[in-house]
Amino acid sequence: MLFYSFFKSLIGKEIVVELKNDMSLLGTLDSVDQYLNMKLLNVEVTDAEKFPHMLAVRNIFIRGSVIRYVHLPADEVDVELLQDASRRDAAQAKASAKVQASQAKSQQQKGGHGGGGGERAVVPAS
Amino acid sequence: MAATAALEAAGDHQLAEITVEEPLDLVRLCIDEKIYVKMRNDRELTGVLYAYDQHLNMILGGVVEVITVTEIDPETYEEIYKETKREIPMLFVRGDGVILISPPTRGS
Amino acid sequence: MTSTLETFFGKKVQIITNDGRTLIGMFQGYDQTINIILTDANERVYSSFQGVQTVPLGVYMVRGDNIAVVCEVNEELDSGLDLDSIKAEPLRPIVH
Repeated sequence: MLFYSFFKSLIGKEIVVELKNDMSLLGTLDSVDQYLNMKLLNVEVTDAEKFPHMLAVRNIFIRGSVIRYVHLPADEVDVELLQDASRRDAAQAKASAKVQASQAKSQQQKGGHGGGGGERAVVPAS
Repeated sequence: MAATAALEAAGDHQLAEITVEEPLDLVRLCIDEKIYVKMRNDRELTGVLYAYDQHLNMILGGVVEVITVTEIDPETYEEIYKETKREIPMLFVRGDGVILISPPTRGS
Repeated sequence: MTSTLETFFGKKVQIITNDGRTLIGMFQGYDQTINIILTDANERVYSSFQGVQTVPLGVYMVRGDNIAVVCEVNEELDSGLDLDSIKAEPLRPIVH
């Protein structure tokens, strides 16, 4: 969720999205979702000579999974905020992983019944 | 007892800061450090790590990207490695392309 | 969540697929996995030694996994294009 929130804070700013087919799209970030799918407005392909495929196109929806890089406006990025958010995010992810692990363990100790956390109860063969 | 201590300290900044018990902890220790990232398709990055998540999505600052292309010499059939370098001030890197992350080497 | 495709309804869109193909058609619908229904679809085939070829396809449901980008076509700009004179290498496929 960290990067989803981060990109939401960049809405309205100009970014360059580099795709895994080597195409680079320069445009204004209009929206982003949890998968980091993005919509850009007023798009220009940075190498228009090589890519005349997008000449009649201004608004583009990009599937998150085809993004390789996003070039960010350096002066719009608060690096200290990012570092703190990363540490907090890591601690949170770890804490919830620990809770899940200990829950799974206590389920096992009770004899494996209950099937919490996606576990399947083992039925002894008769 | 390190594991229990870390468990209790999961919310605690001080203790959580120094324990390394899983791979991502090492990445956490690289925050604000210059790191090396090997990417798929013969791409390599160096830059300062500002943010990451569990997918290894990252934001790096002062990035130098090196792309290595191999060509076969038509006469000698030898492999020629060509490197192209790019500098990018601030870059978001999608985690699915990351192969490995290496912390800064001491003294370099 | 994928509210971002909402604004494309009923418009002419261009889909670039992961294998580098270009499909143009009227955007009729989508779902959360970005499966997309196009009507009146055409493929535009790019080549570096001849102009753009247009292949009529009809109604297409394109699976979301194979979609790289969806572009809203500016019909005014598009009708002004001289497709016969546009020569370009086909787009490279998406390499994950």
